[in-house]
Amino acid sequence: MSLSDLKHSLRKYEFPVCAQEALVRIEQLLAGRTAPTNKQLVVAMEIISEFIFCESDRRGDRGRGAGLSSLQELQLIDILCEYLSSCNNETTKNTIFLSLFGGMESQRRLKVLSILASMAVSASSTPVLLAVGVWLQQTGCSSPQSLQLAENLIRDHFYLNTKNQKELRMLANTAPQFISNFITAVTELYVHDLSTKKMPPKNLLEVITSWVYSNPSLCMSAQLKPASLPSGSIPMAAATPLAGLIRWCSLAPLCLPSNVEDVEMMEISIPMKKIKLECEIDRSIVTTVQQKQLSEAELYIKLHLGVLHSLRSGKRTQGPPTAVNAQHLAALAPIVQTYAHDVLTRGLKLSNDEKLQECLNRLGQAVQVSLANGCVYGNVNNLLASLDTLPENRLLRIVIRTHQQNI
Amino acid sequence: MNTSSKSTALSADLNNFVYGVSRRNTQSTPELTKTGISLLKTFPAARDAVLEFFSIVFQEAVNVAISQTDYEADPNANSLLESVSMIGPELCNLGESWAPFIAPWCVNLIIDISTNKSNVPNSTLQSAEPVRVLLDITTQNLTLLGPEEKATCIDMMLESRWCGWAVGRVVRAEAGLVALVAPRALALGADAARALLAQLAHHAPALAHLKRALQTLFHDVIREDSMPESKRDVIPYLLNLASKSDVVLKAFTQDIEQTLSDEVVRRLGAVCGGGARWEGAAPASLVQLLMRTDARCLLLLLRHARNYQFCRQLLEHLLQKLEYECLFPDKTIPLLTSAAEEIHMIREKLLDGNQLEKYSLARLLILICYNQPSEFVSTISYLLQYSRDDATLALLVRIMSGTASMHVPNDTPDISTDTERYQDFIRTGVEHALRDAAMSDTQIKRCFIEGNVPKDQKTYMHYFCLNIIKLLRWESSKRVSQLRGRAVGRAVQASLYRLGAALQHYAALLRDPQLHHCTMRSLNEMPTCHALAEVLDRVDMSGTKGPLPSVESVLKVVQATVKYFFRCIHEPDVMNKVRGTQTACRLLRKLCGHSKLARAVGLRDLLEAAMFREERAFGTRAEPRAPDTDDLLIHLNQKHGPITQLTQSHTSVFHAGIIGKGVRKKSSHDENSLPPILTTNNELLMGALMACMDGNSGVVEGATSVALLLVELVSPDVMYNGLPWPDEDFTKQVSIERELYMRAALEASPVCRAALRRCGGARPALCLASALLRAAAATLLHRLRALLDRHTHSPEVERERATLTELLSTMTLGQLLPHPLSHMLELAPELTPNEIVQVLRDCLWNYTRDHVPSPALFTCDATGLHWRDPSSCKPPALYTDTLRIIIQKRIAKLGHLYPIMFLNLEKESSN
Repeated sequence: MSLSDLKHSLRKYEFPVCAQEALVRIEQLLAGRTAPTNKQLVVAMEIISEFIFCESDRRGDRGRGAGLSSLQELQLIDILCEYLSSCNNETTKNTIFLSLFGGMESQRRLKVLSILASMAVSASSTPVLLAVGVWLQQTGCSSPQSLQLAENLIRDHFYLNTKNQKELRMLANTAPQFISNFITAVTELYVHDLSTKKMPPKNLLEVITSWVYSNPSLCMSAQLKPASLPSGSIPMAAATPLAGLIRWCSLAPLCLPSNVEDVEMMEISIPMKKIKLECEIDRSIVTTVQQKQLSEAELYIKLHLGVLHSLRSGKRTQGPPTAVNAQHLAALAPIVQTYAHDVLTRGLKLSNDEKLQECLNRLGQAVQVSLANGCVYGNVNNLLASLDTLPENRLLRIVIRTHQQNI
Repeated sequence: MNTSSKSTALSADLNNFVYGVSRRNTQSTPELTKTGISLLKTFPAARDAVLEFFSIVFQEAVNVAISQTDYEADPNANSLLESVSMIGPELCNLGESWAPFIAPWCVNLIIDISTNKSNVPNSTLQSAEPVRVLLDITTQNLTLLGPEEKATCIDMMLESRWCGWAVGRVVRAEAGLVALVAPRALALGADAARALLAQLAHHAPALAHLKRALQTLFHDVIREDSMPESKRDVIPYLLNLASKSDVVLKAFTQDIEQTLSDEVVRRLGAVCGGGARWEGAAPASLVQLLMRTDARCLLLLLRHARNYQFCRQLLEHLLQKLEYECLFPDKTIPLLTSAAEEIHMIREKLLDGNQLEKYSLARLLILICYNQPSEFVSTISYLLQYSRDDATLALLVRIMSGTASMHVPNDTPDISTDTERYQDFIRTGVEHALRDAAMSDTQIKRCFIEGNVPKDQKTYMHYFCLNIIKLLRWESSKRVSQLRGRAVGRAVQASLYRLGAALQHYAALLRDPQLHHCTMRSLNEMPTCHALAEVLDRVDMSGTKGPLPSVESVLKVVQATVKYFFRCIHEPDVMNKVRGTQTACRLLRKLCGHSKLARAVGLRDLLEAAMFREERAFGTRAEPRAPDTDDLLIHLNQKHGPITQLTQSHTSVFHAGIIGKGVRKKSSHDENSLPPILTTNNELLMGALMACMDGNSGVVEGATSVALLLVELVSPDVMYNGLPWPDEDFTKQVSIERELYMRAALEASPVCRAALRRCGGARPALCLASALLRAAAATLLHRLRALLDRHTHSPEVERERATLTELLSTMTLGQLLPHPLSHMLELAPELTPNEIVQVLRDCLWNYTRDHVPSPALFTCDATGLHWRDPSSCKPPALYTDTLRIIIQKRIAKLGHLYPIMFLNLEKESSN
């Protein structure tokens, strides 16, 4: 069948069916034994645009496409989901997925992708999630598209639907590559500096902590198992979430409201007030207080521990270290310095500031563990030098000295 | 849940939903809705599609609900409505994080629906079930939004010109939104703002927010630093808006005092001054606006009229306009209505305002009173009670005459009934004032609690009386043209009964200052009584200028006057006492001149009270106090003498005395002598009695009834015994005890004796009291006989002699003893008891026994005077001989009487 006939045959169908058919045709075009020719690629892209996303009308002129209604979007997503789930070949699946959503420019496709990903999370659909994970990795976890996807997912699953925490925790076992990339993207969204104090919502933090803590190899999973990509494509270097998580944990003491004890006092004092006011619900409140979940500060401590574990398991037996970029760690120094400066201007002593010391301690621990396990790549000297500019901290001092000598 | 099964369940749901929707019919809608809801929960990313589906459902449901009223029967309609009712609660309860998605969806849907259905009446649309559900969802989710998002939603709604009602509804349900809506609404331009604000009007808190928004706008304008040119049109805009929208006006004027404080007004003057005139702020339109405001605005205007020429002009303009508008009977003017509601405030201002305020308010009150007769009545009542100076009273006159003479078309047939009607109102007003004043007097007053009572504090009733007196004075001066109709006089006359009752009440108050220490009652009540009496005194009761007062009220006033009279008797200040009793007498004279009934009642009340209740004031001595139990005669006599019995000694001593009064004490002269007749009080009482009898031939009639009354009051059982004097022996055997009692009663009561004398003067009235004379004569006979063997100068004898003198003089005065017998009076002091007994028996008793003293003996001459012709009633010698013999026997001493008594007699007999 010639390429033009292909389009003509597809035009006989109305929307949902034509999308189904188009997927089959694209698979035939792209997933052959050999790499597809340029012409095949162009036709495949046209088919995707016209028959799957309906971006152009039947006569094929772009820009005047009707687009999809939200219902049709749902139909499309259903079809895609079904197709991806039934696809046996990992490479074929990733090839199709990347050609569907690989284009960086279309906001519409990104929306469809978001819904698809969200549905996959809702339905715990592993094949789709894995494909999304590959997409994240190939697009780059810190690219605007990935961040947008991550934001949509967070909104859907951590704000709008809050009853699915258990299923979410399970995902780390079924689709670790996706989760790893997702966390990497998420770390980019929060805790950048001290002025905005954009902190992750608590339930997100809980889930991430549980993922990292219970599965030390998770963070490295994207690197450990390289994605099956279409032949001829360039695999992107998988970034790990470790650097971002180290940033979270280190800066958390500076960002969280004043004191751990204070937070607990506050959290307890609110139910106390309620007890006074509403005597009848006294009992229920007491029970909730007893089985109280961890406070955010505690969660960060737990996460920190999880990260350190992950770092230890991140050691690669062969090849250069890939887990943590030294540059990312070095980027923390200015933020901490800003805080220290603030403390100084308020006329306080740096060594007495518990938050700062806690922050430096955690940083020191993370640096020590990662250096000791050989997880750091990039300019380690530069990292040590920038750490040296930080306020005085005993642990950090020791760490810096040790490793400066080593080099 | 197993992952795979969950996954399949989700995709099955999704499949169902997606293909169900595309092949949808109304039957499957509820199913699909259910699926949609569950999708929404488990798969939030599908929300766009689900919500889109929901909006289709809503729109169809609205269609159904509007087009069919009886859609219960239609299964399609039912399934749609069922879906709607499923969606409603779900979307309401999704929570805070969903609100940013749900709220805009709702708003858009509302806009769509209202735009599509803009030809359907708002009320129909609003009452449709789906719309209600939708509004609920909107409200619920709007409340969960942050302030900016809220504002965005509201802006979206406000941009659509069809959904003002929806904004109104949402705002009504969620008060916090008003603060957002109100300022935005004001920015919309007058017409749109009006429509929207009308929606808000039913919502109570809306007013407050609207007010705040308006005030912010307003204060922005007049702030010092604002640029006058750019903001100049705001005030005309506001005025324009206010002229179109009641709500805005209400919001503006609600706390107008705070909004337009003095400072603000000054500033406003500065902002507005100098520039060109505003359109829409011309006096005519301002007056139109003011007519729709409330009374407080008017008061504010009045306050500023003092300082600002413009306000004065505006005020005059307004009043003229109001006066003109009031001529249309069916027109209701909000300002007047509000003023009628706030009439207390206005009246208070009328009392304490400056002159301009007073006069303006009086004009306003005329209009109010003209429209609402009840206010007319209460205004009259209020001013009568609280007016304290002539100026205010003059305003009252003005209001009364002004209201009554408001323009009435000439062709109305009932001008006279109209006057009658107003007269009736005035009467009711007076009555209310009277009642209220009496009530106010019983209320607890702060000045009494705090103990800082002003020196000249008068009771409310007193003030009321003073006002009435002044009005009546003006009326009788005939110099006030408005009072020509004697409206007040007639009103007071009509409420005569109540006035009488009030006087009676106040005169009956015998107050213990401790008991009423917090009310006006702790003041002395006499000034009030005097004032009330003066009011009564000024009322015309002659019947010449109006109908005669009813019998009932006359009697009431008479009784009250009698009470008042006796209160005056107790006044310590002589001038007040005399003036008061004179007033009482004048009143009695006026009352009794026209009514015999009144006279009878007056006389009886006066006498009764004087003899039995107030007898102390007239000289009757107090009953001797009952002795202590030890002194009882019976006990004393039971005590036996000294224990040691000597031979021949008395074994016991009996004490002499009067049973019940203990041992006879040595009586002082004071106690024994008769109480004197000639005292001030007695004279005043007699004056009152005479006042009752005043008038032609009234004296005789009056005296007759006084005589009868005396008999009745002293001893009711001889009332019907008739005039004849029985045989002397008969009295001795049968009636001496009663006669002793009667004489004691007579002697003890100077009032009684004085009244007898008056009766004696008014012949032949004394005849009817002959029972009393008889009793005196009989007892004298008896006692003097008993005293014969005693020494002649004991106090008892003195007393007997005094009684005798009085008896004789009374009888002589009453011409019961004709010529020679009448001289017994002069003879008596010289006679011995023995002789007296003889004279009494032969000359007095026997003569009167044989010549019964009856009115028939007295003839009436041409002048109406009753008298007994001495020439025709010479007593026969039988009765005079005793006298003659006694005089002859003691010619040395009594000789000078002989020629007077007997010579003429003989001369005549010789003729």
